[in-house]
Parts: sequence; structure tokens; C-alpha cells
Amino acid sequence: MPLQIQDFGSVCCKRYGMLVQSELTNNKSQMTNEGRPLNSKERVKAAMDIRTPDRVPLMCQMSIGHMLQQLPVSPVEFWFDGDTFAEGLLLLREIYGFDGILISLHGHDPNWRNQIVERSNSEDGEVVRLKDGATMIFGNDDLPQVVGQEAPKLRLTEINSEDLPTSLDYIPVSQGLHFRIDPRNKFGVINTIVQKAGKEFSIHGEITSPFDYFLDLLGHQDGLMALIDDPEKSKEILEHFTRLIEKLAVEMCDTGIDAIKVSSPFAGAGFISPDFYEEFIAPFEGRISQSIRKKNVHVYLHTCGAVGDRLEMMFASGASGIECLDPPPLGNVELDHAMQVASRKGFVKGNVDSVNTLLLGTDGDIMSDAKSRIEIGKKAGGFILSTACSIAPRVKREKVLLLKEAVERWG
Amino acid sequence: MGIDKEFVMLADAVIAGKHIEAGDLTSKLIDESVPPGEILENGLLPGMDVVGKRFRDNQIFLPQVLISARAMKASMKILEPLMVGSGHKMKGTALLGTVKGDVHDIGKNIVSIMLQGNGYTVIDLGTDCTAEKFLSGAGQHHPDVIGLSALLTTTMVYMKTIIDFLRSQQVSIPIIVGGAPVNQKFADEIGANGTARNAAEAVELITKLMSERKEN
Repeated sequence: MPLQIQDFGSVCCKRYGMLVQSELTNNKSQMTNEGRPLNSKERVKAAMDIRTPDRVPLMCQMSIGHMLQQLPVSPVEFWFDGDTFAEGLLLLREIYGFDGILISLHGHDPNWRNQIVERSNSEDGEVVRLKDGATMIFGNDDLPQVVGQEAPKLRLTEINSEDLPTSLDYIPVSQGLHFRIDPRNKFGVINTIVQKAGKEFSIHGEITSPFDYFLDLLGHQDGLMALIDDPEKSKEILEHFTRLIEKLAVEMCDTGIDAIKVSSPFAGAGFISPDFYEEFIAPFEGRISQSIRKKNVHVYLHTCGAVGDRLEMMFASGASGIECLDPPPLGNVELDHAMQVASRKGFVKGNVDSVNTLLLGTDGDIMSDAKSRIEIGKKAGGFILSTACSIAPRVKREKVLLLKEAVERWG
Repeated sequence: MGIDKEFVMLADAVIAGKHIEAGDLTSKLIDESVPPGEILENGLLPGMDVVGKRFRDNQIFLPQVLISARAMKASMKILEPLMVGSGHKMKGTALLGTVKGDVHDIGKNIVSIMLQGNGYTVIDLGTDCTAEKFLSGAGQHHPDVIGLSALLTTTMVYMKTIIDFLRSQQVSIPIIVGGAPVNQKFADEIGANGTARNAAEAVELITKLMSERKEN
């Protein structure tokens, strides 16, 4: 049974302050050559092309936990089943009025039920035992948790080229959690969404950075030390993953998506220095970015936390934009500074604080933060309003809807 | 070579993250009959103090901190068996863990490293820790402070459950909280004794809390 918006009751369109309907529709709309207003896809494209669209586009990434909180769906089905995942993303876009959809997972196995040995319930959620011996617990507000000890990681000195994967059949989603990519259905979910919404909305795929795969292979602490212990071997491994990711990304471009996000959560100042960024991140992410751009698809880098000291390098990588840009206290990026650094070299997608503003802030905080960002971004051009990092699981729907109201009012 | 010079060399080995050299220097000092407590106080801790300050000031980053911690561990592996019964007192004991539902441990591990580098004993309960596990750990190890870590906004709310439970069980020692989404306002709201933005600040906070306890 497909998910339907009626399942959620009426979508709350809360008014803010003295806002009236006429203000919502009083945009000076940029028209297309055919004389009609831009649709969402064109609006996001204009921003990614560093032009000024009719209004600032809105497009946030959502944590899996947030999606589960908003959808009447089994967390197990949502994780494993590509059709359910696609329907959920389409529905959430409709609820929130986003101008695009980020497809954060891909490669769902259509026969995933065959991989499950047992399903049972516990107080922490549904427990799934898989044929490969893994046990996962699926709560309704977070990623699934893999139970038991993580498999021992390889040591840098022990790794030979034959230990490295020859094709990319997993996504390192979180510590200890992989999402398996079915090689026969790598982009099924993307194809579905592009087919259903790709004409009107901006559809973005996601790949994970070589550095993430590297840390996942070695373990975070050993991986970080490896950069000093044996930088050349570290680079060989990064190079290996770069080739695989580049291939996957180029294939992904052929699905008809508008952009690809490169997820690189460990490349900020909370982990490595700007020098290390230049040595171990920029060359590899840069190569992937350039390959994607050659396919005429946009690409943007997503690095969490403090990145203020490496914005120049991120923009110089060849990516068409960057996103996240966590403001203080989670990060250290102020939007006006980022826009100055961007200086029309790339688009910027961000940077409303998902935790302190959206989760913990008042309606007034949200509108005020959104307004200030819209004003800065609109003036500079090449801006998409978004939360910095993912919308946190427990953020209320009404809070997210305020962002839509903000772009319609001030964008 | 004077003993002070050897302490400086040991501190430098820790700062540079040279674990083999740190181990060798430690063995040499032991062979010269230097008490293990003195090696710790005059070589390892001054080295880690420099590391902590450079980390706080963004002069070095996690990879450098981690290799320094590895060097200190190489030395402590030699010292620890010799320190048992030697009468040497550490600054205090911290009981750390990532709260239930959360398996992220990088932040907690860095705090652990910085605390050990500042002369504290750390009992690490690991990840996905229930309130009962913290209570059991507190009963077993008699820590001077308990540190709760969470990366996720969904799991940080469990910190309050743990604090309420521990207080209801008459655990009165300071409890501090940390993690990316945690801030002072949240810490105050859930009744924690403090929070810190990074590992270096966490050490300063714990030192301050322990000093206040002693004064009281």
C-alpha cells in the first residue's frame, strides 16, 4: 500500500506573526523562457548554477530518525525496502514543500525479505536477525543499531591490495553500520524517484567520501593515526576507494539526477588539520567532483562541524557547491563569511542549526535564523536554504514547515 | 645524562608521538631506579600537558593527539605494574561511557585520552550504557566524577534518565555530560554538574569539580 499524504492529517501551515497570504505570493517571479514561473527543479538548478532564482530554494536533508518519526511506516521496511523508502521520500517532500529530494541510500535488494531469518519485538524496537549472522534493532527515531561486537578492524600494516574491495557494495552509514548495495539494483530507488518527481523537483543522490571508507576500514582512531604512521600507504588506500567511488558516482549520474552530495563527515577541524585536508581529502574528493561535473551533474561537499579554516580548499576542489556549514556552537561557519569565500565560485547550501534552532529553539528563533540566512544568501546568489546537518529526529513537523514559510515570505 | 634531561626527552617523545622511543626511555629510567611515579609526573604528564594545550589551541588535531596517547600508553604499560602498591596517587578516577542507544565513542575516547594524560585513572564503560551499568560501575570503582557522552539528539535525552536514576540511588558525585549536540543550557536543564565543548575543556572542568569537592 503506497504511503499517502492523507495518512498524516492536514499539513500544518502555521502563520507566523502578522504574515498574511498576500505576502506569501508576492514574489517577483523570475520566469522561464516559455513565460511560466520556475518550477522547483529549475529553481534549485538556478541556485546551483549560481544564478538568482525567483526565490531562494529550500531543500533539507533529513535524518533517518526524522523520516521515521514523520512516516507511518515500519522502520525495518523503510530501511530495507526500496519502494517504501522512495514513497517515504516523495511524501516527505510533499509535506514539507521542499524543492528537491536527497536520496541518502541506494542499492536496495528487492529480495531483502529472503535475507531475514527472524523478526521479533523488544522494548527498544523490532529485532531482525539476518542470514549473515548479524542482529539489528530498529527503533523508530534513529538508524538501526547493529548488536554485538564490531568485527575487528584491519591494521594498516596488515592491509594488502587483495584486502580491499574490488567493487563498492556497501555504504558506511555510521559507526558499525553498513548499508549493502545490491549490484543488480544499484540505483532502483533513484530511478523510481526520478521517474515520479524528476521533472518537477531537483533529485540528488549521495555518495560517501574515500576518507569515510578509509576510516571505516581501519577504525576511526587507527585510521587517523595511519595518516601519520604511513601517509603513502594511506594515500594508496584512499586512491583505491576514490577509483571505486568515482565509478559509482559516474554511473549514478546516468540515472537523471540533478546533483550528487559527497558525504564527508570526518574532514572537519574536529578531526584533522587544514594541512591534512589538503593532503588526504581535497585531491580525492576533488577528482570525484570533477568526474561528476564532466557528466554535467552538480556535486556538493558535505562536511560537518568546524570547516571555517578550509572553505577555500573546499571551493577549490572542483565541486559546484558545499553544504552543511554548521554555525556556532556546533561548527564555526557564519554564512556571510562563507558567501564571501564562495564569491560565486560555488553555491552554498545551509546553514540553519538543526539542533539549537530547529530542535531546541522557538518559532521566533527559527524564523529569525531563516530570515537572516535568506537575506544573506539571496543577496549573494547561489544559495539554497537548508538545515546545516540533517534535520534531527525529534524536530517537530511544524518547525520544519516554518522554513517553507520563511522562503516564501523573504526568499 | 642527567635525569631531568631524560624526563625532557620522554616528554618530547610523547609530544612527538614516538611510542617506541617512549617505551625505551621509560625502560631506561626504570633501569636507573627512578620511581615509576616520578617518571609519570615528570615525563609523561608534562608531555601530555603540552599536547592538551596544543590541541585546545588548534595547533594540533586528533591524529597527533592519538599518536601521543599511544606513546603514553606504551610507557604506562611498563609503569603500571610497578606502580601497584607504590603509594603513588593518581589525581582521581573518572567513570566514562556513551549512553544507551548510542554507539559513537570517538568523543568519549578523546576525553579519556586527555584525562589519562593529565594523571587521572579512567574507567571506560564503553558504548550503549544503561543507567544500571553506570550505577554498577560507580559502586565498583568509586569514581570522583562520572562522564556521560552522546552524539545523537535522540540519545542525549537519556542522559537525564541516567542522572535522575543515579541521584535516586544516592550517587552524589559530580556527573558531567558531553557530545556534539550538548550545550550548557541542556546540561543545566537535566541537572548535570557541567559540560565542556571539547576534551581539553573537559579536563579543566573535572579538575575544577574535584577541587570544589575537596574544599567542601
